[in-house]
Amino acid sequence: MKTAFPAILLAIGAYFGFVVAVGQFHGMPGLALGLPSGLIATLAAGCGVAGAIWFLFANDHVDSWRPPQILIGLALLCLGFGSYYGLFVAPPEQFMGEVQRIMYVHVPTAWNALLAMTLAFACAVIFLFNGDFKWDSRMEGAIETGVVLAFLLCCQGAIWAKPTWGVWWDWDPRLTTTAVLLFAFLGILALRKFVEDPARRAIWSAVATIIAYVDVPIVYFSVRWWNSLHQQQSNPGTVSKQFWLPLRLNAFGILFLMVAFIMLRARIASLRLKQEMAPPMAEIAELGEAV
Amino acid sequence: MSGGIDAGMVTGGWNFVIAAYAVTFSVLFIYGVSIVTRLREERSRTTEEANRQ
Amino acid sequence: MLAAALRKELLLQWKTRTQMMAVFVFGATSLLLFSFAVGPNSEALRLYSAGFLWLGLLLSSTLTLAESFQAEMENRALEGLLLLPSDVRALYYGKAIANWFQLALLGVGLVPVMVVLYDAGTTDLLRLLAVILLGTAGLSAPGTLYAAMTSQARAKQTLLPLLLFPLIVPALLASVKATSLVILGDPMKQLPSWISLLTAFDAIYWSLCGLLYHHVVEE
Repeated sequence: MKTAFPAILLAIGAYFGFVVAVGQFHGMPGLALGLPSGLIATLAAGCGVAGAIWFLFANDHVDSWRPPQILIGLALLCLGFGSYYGLFVAPPEQFMGEVQRIMYVHVPTAWNALLAMTLAFACAVIFLFNGDFKWDSRMEGAIETGVVLAFLLCCQGAIWAKPTWGVWWDWDPRLTTTAVLLFAFLGILALRKFVEDPARRAIWSAVATIIAYVDVPIVYFSVRWWNSLHQQQSNPGTVSKQFWLPLRLNAFGILFLMVAFIMLRARIASLRLKQEMAPPMAEIAELGEAV
Repeated sequence: MSGGIDAGMVTGGWNFVIAAYAVTFSVLFIYGVSIVTRLREERSRTTEEANRQ
Repeated sequence: MLAAALRKELLLQWKTRTQMMAVFVFGATSLLLFSFAVGPNSEALRLYSAGFLWLGLLLSSTLTLAESFQAEMENRALEGLLLLPSDVRALYYGKAIANWFQLALLGVGLVPVMVVLYDAGTTDLLRLLAVILLGTAGLSAPGTLYAAMTSQARAKQTLLPLLLFPLIVPALLASVKATSLVILGDPMKQLPSWISLLTAFDAIYWSLCGLLYHHVVEE
């Protein structure tokens, strides 16, 4: 299990991600090592994401259940504590009341959905350059996981919007872009189902992924603009005062889950590919015997 | 429906919070189970093929 | 090389102009159906006329784009074309420009239908033409690329709209908004910004799709 370096990175990320925050909450500010909070946040996100992705690439084509098990275990821990802090410890917000607590799962899901799609884009580009099918499997895993997270995002967004704005869907630019992204990547999954030749399937879905991903910022800006001309009230998607601790814990939790899912899903894709590209020796042998 | 806006403040939204957390964790759980099941199927199918050859 | 490709495409379109007529009737029929969906509410119809026009155009585009690769699919003409010592990009741009021309023609043709059904007339015809040209360009570039892909795959009729529709959301938004402003008036001078959004979308996708096209058609 090649995990030394990524594990170190993850540990650093986790330390700055939530250990510091836990410390601060429980009256131990010294853990921050005197660093400014912006730097802490950057280190947390950077090391966490880099470590997770590195861990993913090192272990997704290895035939062991141990890495995903570790990831899922860590994820459950983080999500457990994060939800505990978010549901029972964090104070209700000034205007949103208890509904604010939805943000403690919504924002982490959003970060990770975007991360999954970005990973899919990166794998698509890399595949088009080097033709190694490992990247195609990774891309498939990232797309499917990203679709699930995007779908979740839309559900959470609707559940948040109903008590806040009185409607299930308020055309918030971020959520609307997520919906468009969801449909775009669902289309790519459909494309993969309908193309049988593995090489074509890989190349075409890589092209489609690149095109769809480039569209994301364009969709966001156009919807934001389109919406701003109608909206009278400003739309605080994330609220002013947030309790960072449950946010960070849940973010890492969902990150670990997501990486585990992508890892396993990539393995499924590789196994299927191996079957498709393998010569049908068994059938020919059986035919030979029958004759 | 519980939850409403009362003098600029959203009141009583616990149902929505529980719904959001429940949806999140159930979707993630169901997806995880489906992946593990599919992977197990794929692996057993691969070993079957290998044994036949 | 591009000129030759373009000439071939336009010739093909001229030869199949009866199909073009059929697509126009399809577009006009959808505009009619939209008005039935809203009801005989002339104010509402006028307000949303731009939306109906572009939706009708979008639905019709799935037909014309798919058809544009019909010739290549018969007798494996696509492979024959690729054997020519020519840049694949020229083939792409030739087809994309021809599709653009066809869609723009369709759009212009549907304007009188829109004017009559929704009472949505305007005297600012040049601006309207500009919006139609920019909007259909946004449909044509990714549409041609995806049509090339899906014409070689199974379930081609479902796949093309499935892939294209989410992608062109910005172009649709901008075209509808811009057309609406031309028809209903633009007191706050918003039109230039929507035009720039459309232009940016077109610029990005005409270059990106041209770059990626060879992946889609080569073996």
